[in-house]
Amino acid sequence: MSSRVSRRSVLSASLASALGACDARLAGGGERAALWYSYGGKNREVLERLLARFHRDPQRPRIDATFQGDYFESLAKVRTAIAAGAAPALTHVVAEVVPYLAEAGALEPLDRYEGAADLDLVPGIAQSGTYLGGAERPLVAVPFNRSVPVMYVNKVMLERAGVGIPQNWAELRAGANALTLRRGTEVAVWGFECPVSWWFWVALLASAGGKVVDASGEVTLGGDAGVRALDLWQTLIHRDRVMRPPLGRDYNAWQVTTQDFLSGRAAILWSSAAFLRYIEESARFPVTVAPLPRDVRHAVPTGGTLFVILRAAEEREKRAAWQFLRWMTEREQTTEWSTSTGYLPATRAAVHELTRTGYYDAHPSDKVVLGELDAIEPWPWSPTLFRVQREIMDPLLENAVLEGTDAARALEKGRREALLP
Amino acid sequence: MKPRFPVAALVSAVVALVWVGPYTWMAITSFKTLPELLDNPTALWPDALTFAAYREVWATVPMARYLLNTAVMAVLIAVLQIALALPAGFALAKLDFVGRRAAFGLVLVCLLIPAQATFVPVFLMLGQAGLINTMAALVLPFGASALGTFLVRQACLSIPDELIEAARLDGAGDLHIVYRLLAPALKPTLAALFLLSFVFHWNDYFWPLVMTTDDRIRTVPVGIALLREQGSGVRWHLVMAGNVILSAPTLVVFAIAQRHLVRAVTTRGF
Amino acid sequence: MKPARPHEPYLLLLPTVLLLTLFFLVPFFVAAKESLYSWDLLTPRTYVGLANYRLLWERGELWRAFRNTLAYSAVVVSGALVLGLLLALLLDRKGRLAAFVRGTVFSAYVVSWVAVALLFMWMLDGEAGVVTRVVVALGLPKKNWLGDPAVALYTLAVVSIWKIAGYSMIVFLAGLQDIPPVLYEAAALDGAGRIMRFRSVTWPALGPSAAFVATTSLILSFQAFDVVRIMTQGGPVHATQLFVYAIYEQIFLNLRVGRASALTVLFGVLVFSLAALQLRLFRGRGVA
Repeated sequence: MSSRVSRRSVLSASLASALGACDARLAGGGERAALWYSYGGKNREVLERLLARFHRDPQRPRIDATFQGDYFESLAKVRTAIAAGAAPALTHVVAEVVPYLAEAGALEPLDRYEGAADLDLVPGIAQSGTYLGGAERPLVAVPFNRSVPVMYVNKVMLERAGVGIPQNWAELRAGANALTLRRGTEVAVWGFECPVSWWFWVALLASAGGKVVDASGEVTLGGDAGVRALDLWQTLIHRDRVMRPPLGRDYNAWQVTTQDFLSGRAAILWSSAAFLRYIEESARFPVTVAPLPRDVRHAVPTGGTLFVILRAAEEREKRAAWQFLRWMTEREQTTEWSTSTGYLPATRAAVHELTRTGYYDAHPSDKVVLGELDAIEPWPWSPTLFRVQREIMDPLLENAVLEGTDAARALEKGRREALLP
Repeated sequence: MKPRFPVAALVSAVVALVWVGPYTWMAITSFKTLPELLDNPTALWPDALTFAAYREVWATVPMARYLLNTAVMAVLIAVLQIALALPAGFALAKLDFVGRRAAFGLVLVCLLIPAQATFVPVFLMLGQAGLINTMAALVLPFGASALGTFLVRQACLSIPDELIEAARLDGAGDLHIVYRLLAPALKPTLAALFLLSFVFHWNDYFWPLVMTTDDRIRTVPVGIALLREQGSGVRWHLVMAGNVILSAPTLVVFAIAQRHLVRAVTTRGF
Repeated sequence: MKPARPHEPYLLLLPTVLLLTLFFLVPFFVAAKESLYSWDLLTPRTYVGLANYRLLWERGELWRAFRNTLAYSAVVVSGALVLGLLLALLLDRKGRLAAFVRGTVFSAYVVSWVAVALLFMWMLDGEAGVVTRVVVALGLPKKNWLGDPAVALYTLAVVSIWKIAGYSMIVFLAGLQDIPPVLYEAAALDGAGRIMRFRSVTWPALGPSAAFVATTSLILSFQAFDVVRIMTQGGPVHATQLFVYAIYEQIFLNLRVGRASALTVLFGVLVFSLAALQLRLFRGRGVA
């Protein structure tokens, strides 16, 4: 062999060992589990803090947490990872997709794990209350960061305009009109901003008395209530011009609307309780939190995500994941998570503790959020729910609102699409 | 063609601004802090030249790991491509054998198929083989370069047969001919190949995005793109710091090897 | 030349042929097969025949992806041609300044698409971006560069032109430098002015360079993905839904393997034809 070739074989041998070091599938010995998460910013900090605390006890398994992008990106990766045999043990997913994953056999049933029966979760945001008939099914999901849509108002602006906090749709419209400030053809302050997305549309629809999927499983998209919900946005955006037209998709829209509110370019913002801490800390004016203005009933969908353990992972990893999951539902952790971020506390013990120590008295905004627990509108346990959201409603809403098409016609088209494979 | 002096200089200055400006802006932003950015995002100069953004990026994402992964991947691909293209190009150019036309046809066909057309099936295949999230998934699909083979073949055509026959008479084996004789003779082509390949794969976002989910194997472009997806207010100074880290190596390569790159691009490099 | 040993050529070609077949040929057949099924990666496959293709057509997704990609490519190719030529003409001179400017323009070629996309996203930001501020300062109407369906696709195209103009310029420069000065002298002797010299000497001689830039940038634009994924994710309302992004979305976001495979097959055929065309035009010929 020429010396060049033997040099090459040395090179390739050392590269091979570097390859091995770079091979991400090499798991160390001992209990480990992979956790895929999708937060950035503040929520990520809190999660990392909790992880560090979990790891302080050397007896506990190591949780390898990897950031995977936003909820939808992460979910996409999870599903493809399952198919590719590279599934993590633990991840968290939006409520709408749990029925699909469960019916597809991707989720590990949790009832058989130690301590599953006494998790003492708040029903409204646990599987039992989040889904119609959720309590009758095997436990597959445990609340992690659960939220509800809420309204943030710039109290100073409202007072200056002589507007009270809107309690219903009519007041919202009137208030938004009074609060919008125009400078020539440009709008200096928008009366109302809200990400045009599935979640808020469902909130409107639920308040108007409708259901996305009816009792027989047919995707009705809320019927008349769905039309009225979309029509409200159309009115505010195109006819009154007091609501900022949508920009960007998914989390771009949330970022923009939040930034507008914080910089004083929007008087009323609909967003998630998830941003409560962030908004309170970043705003330079007093922020008031209120329930969404209602139509005929007080009903809000839940948002955020639930922990799930994936069936495709190894037994050891699943056990390790469960240990972490269970630890996360302990009172101390759920309390900390809720107070640090603004998400709802997952366990009743946490709620009692926070009430007892006067936390809610000191934090009226959190109290408002907590109050919404009485009005939770459960999701249907429908495997097509997620597809309806991503493939039909999100584009439909974006389209209809941008172009101002007739709400009834748009939803009729959506209903027909839902029937296609 | 000699345009009038002042106009040309002016236009050149504008051109320079349009192409240097964005980089400069990127660097300036990376030296700012979040409050500065919120207050006055288009301030021409940061309050203080602080590396805080870089420190934060380095602390929140395993940037060293990403850099190592990306460098290893790009070098492995470039080296492997050259190592394979040399014998293949030589065989296609110089040797008579049954199936030569078919083999060359295969190379030509593969020249025309981009990675974007194969990623779905390759993803499924590698998934079934359990190779997702490995360096193999990032390197092997590109190990054989149809373009590289094609270029090496073209270059070999102009090497006189006598040279090879003489080496054979001296008792040289094929590997010796390919790697000790041809390789030095084809240095410009190989240098071009290495450069193009290294730069392309260092910058590749698409393939690592599809083939990896694990942070341990992630590459810099994917990692930097993730910096943006934070959900509650994009911190542009961090993203720009990441951008600088991503772009600096290739810009350094560019500064050193610009002439080679120009040559590579103009002789049917892509 | 005869091989030294009968098996020699096959061994020399084995790794290459193996890898190329495995990663370029086989996938095509896998995609073709998958396109006849409906599969979500979690539950078993179901055979659906040509339904995926039919649905892609009926729902307008295929046409939309094709139309968007075509529009985007048209802008990028023309921009690259025009800008590349102008830059080459401007900077085809000696001197450190010209060399420096040439370098900076060409350097965009080595920078990642990710870096360019993020950078321009920041500069085009609706409130805090440099471009927006300049536009407002100049008194022009503010535009939502990435959020306005009428504009978004062209914004992406402009960003792409920024990145590849340098490449185009380099190709044209090589073409310019190949023109023998004698031709200019002859034309000048015939009394041709500068414009006339350009039309009669330069323009025709740059034909091959222009064709090369056109076809290369066409193929590159058809493969565009990074800018879409990072800047607009196919939105708003699918205005920037380019072909490759459509495939990506189908498999990774909608989890429709069959649909994605059908798109892949169609895309593969399309790009293959374009690239074959280019190969025929330039087989064996260097540009310089």
